[in-house]
Amino acid sequence: MGTCGIAAGAEATRDAVDRELEQRSLAGEAGRVGCMGMCSFEPILELHAAGSPYMVYGRATAEAVPGIFAAYLEGTSLQQGVVVGEGRPVFTRSNGSALESLSLVDPETGDPIPFHRKQVRVVLSNCGLIDPESVDDYLAVGGYEALETVLAMDAEQVVDTVIRSGLRGRGGGGFPTGRKWQLARSTERWPKYVICNADEGDPGAFMDRSVLEGDPHAVIEGMAIAGYAIGAAVGYVYCRAEYPLAIRRLEGALAAARELRLLGRDILGSGFDFDIQVKAGAGAFVCGEETALMASIHGERGQPWPRPPYPAVAGLWDQPSNVNNVKSYAFVPRIVRQGAAWFRSLGTEGSPGTAVFALSGMVNRTGLIEVPMGITLHDVVFDIGGGIPGGKQFKAVQTGGPLGGCLPAANLDTPVDFDSLTAAGSVMGSGGMIVADETTCMVEFATYFLRFACDESCGKCPPCRIGSLRMLEILERITAGRGRPDDLDRIRHLAGGMQQGSLCGLGQLTPSPVLSVLRHFEDELWAHITEGRCPAAACQKLVRSPCVSACPAGVDVPAYLALVAQGRRSEALAVHREANPFAMICGRVCPAFCEDVCRRGQIDEPIAIRHVKRFMADHEFAEPWTPPRLAPSKDVRVAVVGAGPCGLTTALRLAQQGYRVTVFERMPEPGGMMTYGIPSYRLPRAPLFAEIDHIRRAGVEIRCGMQLGTDFTIKSLREDGYAAIVLALGAHRSRSLNIDGEDKDGVYHGVQMLRDVASDQLPDLSGKRVVVVGGGDTAMDAARSARRLGAEEVRVVYRRTRDELPAIREEIEGAVEEGVVFDFLVTPVAVLGDGSVNAVRLQRQSLGNFDSSGRRRPVPIAGSEFDLPCDVLVPAIGQITWLDDDSLRARQAGTIDIGKAFELGDVPGVFAAGDAVSGPATVVQSVAQGNQVAITVRHWLETGELGGVYYRPVRHDIAQLYDPQDYAESRRPEPGMLSVEERLAGRDFSEVERVLDAAAIEEECKRCLRCDLEWLQRIGEPMP
Amino acid sequence: MTTNSGVETMNVTLTVNGRRVVAPEGSTILEAARSAGIRIPTLCHHPDLSNVGSCRICVVSVDGTSGLQTACTAPVQAGMQIDTESEAARATRRFVLEMLLTDHPNECMICEVNGDCELQELVYEYEVPWPEPGGARHAFAVDPDPNPFIVIDRNKCILCTRCVRACAEIQNRDVWGIAHRGFESRLVAGADEFLLDARCESCGQCVAYCPVGALYDKMSLGRARVNKVTRVPTTCSYCGVGCSLDLNVRDGEVVRVTGIPEAPVNGMALCVKGRYGYDYVHHPDRLTAPLVRAALLSAEHLDARLANGEWQVTAVPDDRSPDEEITPDTFIATDWATALDVVAGRFADEKEAHGADAFAVFASAKCTNEENFLFGKFARQILGTNSIDHCARL
Repeated sequence: MGTCGIAAGAEATRDAVDRELEQRSLAGEAGRVGCMGMCSFEPILELHAAGSPYMVYGRATAEAVPGIFAAYLEGTSLQQGVVVGEGRPVFTRSNGSALESLSLVDPETGDPIPFHRKQVRVVLSNCGLIDPESVDDYLAVGGYEALETVLAMDAEQVVDTVIRSGLRGRGGGGFPTGRKWQLARSTERWPKYVICNADEGDPGAFMDRSVLEGDPHAVIEGMAIAGYAIGAAVGYVYCRAEYPLAIRRLEGALAAARELRLLGRDILGSGFDFDIQVKAGAGAFVCGEETALMASIHGERGQPWPRPPYPAVAGLWDQPSNVNNVKSYAFVPRIVRQGAAWFRSLGTEGSPGTAVFALSGMVNRTGLIEVPMGITLHDVVFDIGGGIPGGKQFKAVQTGGPLGGCLPAANLDTPVDFDSLTAAGSVMGSGGMIVADETTCMVEFATYFLRFACDESCGKCPPCRIGSLRMLEILERITAGRGRPDDLDRIRHLAGGMQQGSLCGLGQLTPSPVLSVLRHFEDELWAHITEGRCPAAACQKLVRSPCVSACPAGVDVPAYLALVAQGRRSEALAVHREANPFAMICGRVCPAFCEDVCRRGQIDEPIAIRHVKRFMADHEFAEPWTPPRLAPSKDVRVAVVGAGPCGLTTALRLAQQGYRVTVFERMPEPGGMMTYGIPSYRLPRAPLFAEIDHIRRAGVEIRCGMQLGTDFTIKSLREDGYAAIVLALGAHRSRSLNIDGEDKDGVYHGVQMLRDVASDQLPDLSGKRVVVVGGGDTAMDAARSARRLGAEEVRVVYRRTRDELPAIREEIEGAVEEGVVFDFLVTPVAVLGDGSVNAVRLQRQSLGNFDSSGRRRPVPIAGSEFDLPCDVLVPAIGQITWLDDDSLRARQAGTIDIGKAFELGDVPGVFAAGDAVSGPATVVQSVAQGNQVAITVRHWLETGELGGVYYRPVRHDIAQLYDPQDYAESRRPEPGMLSVEERLAGRDFSEVERVLDAAAIEEECKRCLRCDLEWLQRIGEPMP
Repeated sequence: MTTNSGVETMNVTLTVNGRRVVAPEGSTILEAARSAGIRIPTLCHHPDLSNVGSCRICVVSVDGTSGLQTACTAPVQAGMQIDTESEAARATRRFVLEMLLTDHPNECMICEVNGDCELQELVYEYEVPWPEPGGARHAFAVDPDPNPFIVIDRNKCILCTRCVRACAEIQNRDVWGIAHRGFESRLVAGADEFLLDARCESCGQCVAYCPVGALYDKMSLGRARVNKVTRVPTTCSYCGVGCSLDLNVRDGEVVRVTGIPEAPVNGMALCVKGRYGYDYVHHPDRLTAPLVRAALLSAEHLDARLANGEWQVTAVPDDRSPDEEITPDTFIATDWATALDVVAGRFADEKEAHGADAFAVFASAKCTNEENFLFGKFARQILGTNSIDHCARL
């Protein structure tokens, strides 16, 4: 019964157990133990009747107790509470009842429960096992044996034992404990002091409290051993006053130990005198810093003093002192009892032993855990913690508390030990571990910790006192959308000054969380600064609504939903087109990032935003749009190379600003990948070409069949008087598999297949066995097209698992419906056949370490090769760009290298954007880039300056004219689809998805919770 | 630094900026460097006060240690290799100054200590630009305390705590302290009360040790900028301790009194009288010539000297105007020779008439030891009485 168990109702549970025992006339007793660390299950009840197993129940509230008794004794099914696991008897409690080990097993299978499987409990081994208020219980588990052993040893030997164990300070610094003791021992001045640092101030961290509340004697014993080792007679426990139960239990334990002559004069007749007093801290985080802690014991203001001299030389009352963390002391009796070699057998070479963490945040099983050093972050978060709730994506884990750092998915394989975490850019710290999921804004995350550190700065030295506030001001500005382009440099400057200049660890480490976000999530910072967008949709002042934040183009979703709801479809469409001219196209093919984050989705289903978009756009089909001219015509010509979504958007925006824009397109038709990459069963030609016509109507001239490098060059465009040239070449060249036999007949790249289909040169795949390699949208489109082209069997082989498939959900589902078969965890290693393909040799894969995208890397399984017969092999593993002009440089990855403002470094007036730069992206992402390129080019044309301007879409405030309560029960409509037979009959590529009707759409729009109105009310000011 | 008493102090040899320096064990890097004539800039350090290492200006690089160390607190060790001007040290000093400026008023032009400000000097030396506007700045009320001698402007305070330590360690009054924490930290008297309610005896030590213009002498406001005054060293006339002080004189007028760091008796310390009790100097009531009652002067001399203007009739102590008729009690401002003649003559007359024991002599604590010694001689040998006493016995 630790503080948190009591807060969860453990006292009431115990009363209920007493009542239940009385009612059932059972001769039993309700005991009390420390915290088991299973926060998510509190309160916890362990039941044992003679001859029956030891059962541990979670969420055992007072109301649940009768049911739990009935379940335990009579085998009824549990209505309230859950079975956590079954314990195994180990030895006998002082009062006669048997103790059970805390490594609980699943009663069904007998296997350790997942929460315990990878834990090794050393310092927590007694927590939850013994009654912390009973010294007899502690003695029964071998307590004070170590002290007795030590008193018969030479003090030097004791220090040597701790040195050999390799124990490093568990407060977070990781300084070798034995060496610290040796320094204090070798300083020849008396008196000396032993100080236990229990000023655990990290938010969300409660390791030390749990040890003090659950096993206080272990700390006392460790301190007494330290006192003997360094030659001290007086110990202090500096415990924060916010831990009243810990202080009470500690005081009780001290009294009990004194009573047994385990403390005081002449301990156990050895002649060694040692006693401990408790000093309650007054709530300053900085007092966890050892010199500030000692100043506080002095009765002075809790502020650090500079070192050297170190406490081992001049500490408390200017005398030699040894300061260690609670856990460091608690480890010592175990090390003495079980030997330095045993301790070294746990953990890693550089960080022996175990580490205790308070696992919290976005993780299924929060709690207090103890793991061997060297376990990976992945094992902690996913195996012990049970992964991320609600099927969300893991984003980062913060270790080391508010002065630590965060690590992204790519670092999930990092071993948890002092040196590895430091190398990865975080720190071990005292044991806080906070998990962030995809809905966490890392900028806000870092700001939270920075605000804490800023509040807790003691104010003694200027770098921390003022620097932390200046940094906080910048971050608060960024999270409010008022960031400036030089802010990151400013943050780095402040961080460097604070790290180098601050007096103590608090100031030196305050920038750490911010720097780790800068290191791992710089893009997210830039999105805030340049676009005023919070990608995680978390920053209150930026997030007008999650959907707007999630949309790469920043389309004002709530505004057009509200307008459609009122039947004002033309206005709605105009709102959409301000940010994205391709409403009909995106209404069909957009992955709808907006729907993934829609708040309505947390209640039932997200608003069918894409369907609404499609409806409102299709409805205006008959009224061709002429994009408005926003500035007078200028006699300035701009060339755009590539008529894909990025090039067309760039051209449109520049034309709207009065520029004379010509688009050069290699293919016979404009549209780029929209035309030649997306099959018409998803995107029919009519809406596609209608929307391209809108752009022509804006005054843009599109010249098709013009190949860069052949029909014209950058040089010729310049000679023709184009003031600016934007290369939006796209990425059309299929990546090669780089395996043997790839040149055989029957190897038919997905990109080529889709291009042939779009050009009405339908290949005949009747009766063919087709194997598609890849897991993206192109692979899905190729597979589904192959089915339409008559292929008898279509298999998709993908090197990871279904969970990692990058294609959009609708495509995967469509492919499965249409009979496409998936083979996961395989990758082709050779194409077989004489002249033409007859099989592909595949090798099985397993998932290994995490890569920079946070996905697990496929690792080949040697000897697992097998042959899959096939007639057509369709590689679709990604595309690179296609370059043919001497003035351009291409990176190895097949993308064009550009500067911060899309410029091609050495060629003034030439810009590059789109897939050719970023790699394959969605239509809406290309549109977003086009908007940004257009404003950049325009700024350059007008001022000669590169960069510094950012596209920020206009926001609209549309009134809500209905009572949202009326739509609380409405559910998301799903449009009809062509049946699979209809889709596959007669090489037909007609559109699969149908449009919803007006009534359904208007009803659907009113399901919108209008988060934007809440934002307006909350912020009360226009967008920055 | 704490050293064990009874242990003989040894010297250690270290290297500072490539120069070999020998310093006593237990001394700080700062002391060692200064003894060798190597300057390390400081702000919160003062040789009279304990070291706290808070301002971070004196940071230096020490080979073989990570990070910088504050020279004012780090003890010397044999073989240390110290670079006081390393890039990191200079960058840190510059950063600290930049941070201080982001919360400091840009008021040097109207600041009392312009030209006599340690922050200003360092900012100038390190060429720290005025930081861009924006961000929180303190806006405390200026001169919120009714203490008649000390002005407080917390906006200029850099929280070096020199005033706190001067008050505690030199004056033993513990008036000043720091309240709150982080950016909200501020200098307070007692439990955030007025100085005089917080045991302040207005000695002004805090003002003397303030490196900036946060604490200043109220009587000198607007009058005593360092470049406008001439400092005239003198000995305090209030008591026999013999404190040295500088009269800060501007246009023939004392506008401020400051201590003299090198003064053997008092250093920079003064008491409220020595530091602030100088307004009598230019007081209109101050006696500037010996006054003798008319009855004691020969009528002949009196008429002649009043006529030629050598002597004047004074109104003191009566309320009468100088035009009124001279009575025997009227004070005449005479010259020293005349006045001393009158006194000597009367002493001689009295001694002859009543004997030496008719005299009792009372000496003043405001006299120097030498003067009091002479006074004793005068009583015993000239007057012939042992009845001499001193006001300090009161």
